[in-house]
Amino acid sequence: MDKNKKELLPINAVPQGRLSMWLLISGELVIFGGLICCYLLYRLRYPIWAEQAAHTSTFFGALNTVVLLSSSFTVVKAHEAALKKQLNKITMWMSLSILGGLLFLINKSIEYTHEIEHGFTFSSPHLQESGNYVGSLFWSFYYTMTGLHGVHVLVGMIIMFVIMMQARKGKNLHRVELAGMYWHMVDLIWIFLFPLLYIAK
Amino acid sequence: MEHHTHQLNFWQKYFFSTDHKTIGAQYTIVGLMMAAIGGFLAYVFRYNLAFPGENIPLYGSLSAQQYNSFITCHGMIMVFWVAMPILLAGFGNFLIPTMIGTDDMAFPVLNMMSFWIFLLSAIVLVASFFVPGGAFGGGWTMYPPLSANGYLNTEPDFLTAFFSGSSLMLVAVALEFIAMLMGGINFLVTTINKRAKGLTPFKMPLVIWFINLASVIFMFSVGPLVAGAVMLLFDITLGTGFYDPARGGDPILFQHLFWFFGHPEVYVLLLPSLGVLAEIIPVFARKPLFAYRTIIYLALFSAVISVVVWAHHQFIAGIDPRMATFFSIGTIIISIPFAGIFLSFMATLWGGSIRLAVPMMWALGFIALFLIGGLTGLFLGSNAFDIYAHDTYFVVAHFHYTLFPDIFFGFFAAFYYWFPKFTGKNLNETLGKVHFWLTFVFFNCTFFLLFFNGLGGQHRRINDYSAFSNVMQEPYILFEKISTISAILLILTQFIFLYNFFSSLAKGKKADKNLWSANTLEWIADSPPPHGNFKEFPVVYRGPYDYSLPGIEEDFIPQNVPVSEKEKLNRV
Amino acid sequence: MHIFPENISTYGQEIDNLFWLVLVFVVIALVISLFVLIYPLVNNHYTKVKKATYFTGENKKHFRWISIALVLLGMSDFVILLAEHNTWEEIENIPAKVDVRIGITGRQWNWIFTYPGPDGKLNTGDDLVVDEQNSELHVPVNKNIILELRSRDVLHSFFVVNTRLKQDVIPGRMNTRWFNLTKEGKYDISCAEICGVLHAKMRNFLVVESQDKYEQYLKTLYEKNTANP
Repeated sequence: MDKNKKELLPINAVPQGRLSMWLLISGELVIFGGLICCYLLYRLRYPIWAEQAAHTSTFFGALNTVVLLSSSFTVVKAHEAALKKQLNKITMWMSLSILGGLLFLINKSIEYTHEIEHGFTFSSPHLQESGNYVGSLFWSFYYTMTGLHGVHVLVGMIIMFVIMMQARKGKNLHRVELAGMYWHMVDLIWIFLFPLLYIAK
Repeated sequence: MEHHTHQLNFWQKYFFSTDHKTIGAQYTIVGLMMAAIGGFLAYVFRYNLAFPGENIPLYGSLSAQQYNSFITCHGMIMVFWVAMPILLAGFGNFLIPTMIGTDDMAFPVLNMMSFWIFLLSAIVLVASFFVPGGAFGGGWTMYPPLSANGYLNTEPDFLTAFFSGSSLMLVAVALEFIAMLMGGINFLVTTINKRAKGLTPFKMPLVIWFINLASVIFMFSVGPLVAGAVMLLFDITLGTGFYDPARGGDPILFQHLFWFFGHPEVYVLLLPSLGVLAEIIPVFARKPLFAYRTIIYLALFSAVISVVVWAHHQFIAGIDPRMATFFSIGTIIISIPFAGIFLSFMATLWGGSIRLAVPMMWALGFIALFLIGGLTGLFLGSNAFDIYAHDTYFVVAHFHYTLFPDIFFGFFAAFYYWFPKFTGKNLNETLGKVHFWLTFVFFNCTFFLLFFNGLGGQHRRINDYSAFSNVMQEPYILFEKISTISAILLILTQFIFLYNFFSSLAKGKKADKNLWSANTLEWIADSPPPHGNFKEFPVVYRGPYDYSLPGIEEDFIPQNVPVSEKEKLNRV
Repeated sequence: MHIFPENISTYGQEIDNLFWLVLVFVVIALVISLFVLIYPLVNNHYTKVKKATYFTGENKKHFRWISIALVLLGMSDFVILLAEHNTWEEIENIPAKVDVRIGITGRQWNWIFTYPGPDGKLNTGDDLVVDEQNSELHVPVNKNIILELRSRDVLHSFFVVNTRLKQDVIPGRMNTRWFNLTKEGKYDISCAEICGVLHAKMRNFLVVESQDKYEQYLKTLYEKNTANP
């Protein structure tokens, strides 16, 4: 049956997983694109957001960028290993990528803690009480965008873990590439968020 | 070819099935159940409008708050929990694998999960009726600030705010979007990857094109609204001010995000039904679909234009007048490809050999009603007249003349056409005709007079017009009553459909394998198609609309019949 | 039976005329399309003997009837666009000559009317404010009246059927519209955008009266305001 299927079914087969991952990624990019557009519209309207953006930690942001970029590199190495069917190497590179995600989240939570200590939260009550509503809006955007991205990092880590557990037994090696694609998307979104939220002061 | 022949138990077969036909049936049945709820809501508020203050049979008295909830949920349910599951997910699941000649979806388990997420979303929405304060009642467009804080003047804690009608409605809509996105990815991958050998894109039936096109439009327009809905949810529950003008936000932003999705959504709903028409009309006219390729190009063109027309819903929201002119032009441009598609369908009839079977009647009824709906759009598209007509019953009548044929005539056309295929039983033809004519007549009686109420200046979403002298006069009061009584009759008519459905399912005559003598691949399979659909995968040699080819004995040639030499000569 | 309610504004007739113009195109298009739809249904019944004519419509020659129809549709669309453009511009653009400026603010659930005080200017400390349910908006007849439309809480929409003017009011923004009313009388003001539970009860009155009476009204309003500040 399987052989028969292969001959008769797909007339111009793009690997199924890769195709659906591209579709998923384009869907995700539109969601983040919408959010970033909203942010930009407000940003252009309120130049005073710069003083709020000054409270974000460029150091942590940059560190996280480096962490994510290097974990993207390791995921590429994992894909390379998967092509060569080197199971041990896959496990190694993928755990490094998961570690990168973990580091990112740890950094992010340290950063959040700092900011929350200074009263910058989702609705930043102390800014609202002093009448700086526009400033508090910046933080609403900051938490929404980084939070949504953080959820994607977490999901990416879980996906990579599940796929790693399968791959080390030699099962579903092609999925390593899919995890990598997803991880690159998470990375790409961060590349947009970092300058928008941290650098443009 | 062999399939898993081990016996599935009841639950595996009907509930947690990964078979695309079962999932399609699940979507359709849940959609119809939601339609019953939406119809009941319509009955309650229509009754209230015709006989204000009176006790409503089967319901009781209706407060202003409940009235608002009911009109809001009627709109929400009919668009997101009836049209989307039936037209997109239902048709897509039934038709895509069978018409492209394959055994199942590309990702059967994902398909099942989408359905369960969809069902969860429906449950969340229905549950929102029972939270304190009732379901959200600020219009299905959910414009902030009303949706963000209109009902809660106090600062609510997170849980109270989360379990309010507006927040639950947002959660339900978000879940529904996720389900439909997953379904859409599945449709696209299936169509791209699993087509039968020889089924090149321009040999695909139009309905497959249109369902996929609808999925693409949906995927690329819904994103910003997902982001917008998350922001609105935070406004409700976490006290942010994304849309709160007092805190630097902007309520108009949500309108843009909403309609950036909301208008393409109209085409998401329209395209699958048009696809169904494109399958039915050639079969019953015994003629090739007129201008098949051109229709595809027109649809692709309109899909592109559909994302630049959204602000025509906001002409009077105080947007820049020049911007309004731009969107006015966009609106007018998009009317042209759709007119082209409808005209091509009508051209198919000319010179045909027409059988007025029940599915054909629904298809033709669809076209006739949609003509009125589409053409009244011309009034609203001209922005100066829209200043007056916006948010009046003219708009209500207009979009019911587009959406009702689209959802229900489209569904019934497909239902009467494919029911014998997917159940193996014939429907009762006479009951089908009675059902059609009564629905057609009562629908017109319900909505046509409302155009006049709208022109008379009756504005929407009012539970009690006693304060407004322009509405409280004849003939508008009479029109309201006629409309309500017809609406009740329209709902009662649907029991004929239910009876026909169940009695045919139980003791209908066995249906022929290809009872309409159609060309597309699903008619090669057994009726009903078994798990896996085809005994062996079909190979496709021709397009889907080879009817009445000159010099050939039969007036149809299924897609899996090789092209003969004789035919090649005749074709030139 | 009148299709439209009585018109009292200078531009209302243009909107009504626009309707009739579009209606002509719509009726012509509807009649032609219904003919195209029904004619073959009557004439081409299915017979076993005679086959349908085979044509695919793929070449330009076959498609020409539809092309012609689409071009005609596009042209009538264009005519409508041209016809309505002037009306749209007229309503959207504030005339140079301003006679009276009145502030209108929506709130849950009535309209608030603000008239200029003795200094004759709006948005100064001495403005006269009427904030009551079922209150009346007094305006002089045959004057260019500029409306400054605002909202205090949620979206509303200022709608007077007889003037044909409708305008959403949006919290945090001011929209400016105008009208010039030609007939004295009392008309309903409603809210055309759902604004909460008592949306249906949001009704005020528009009173169009002579300049003298209008000034008299402002005077009594001023006296009432100074009597109980």
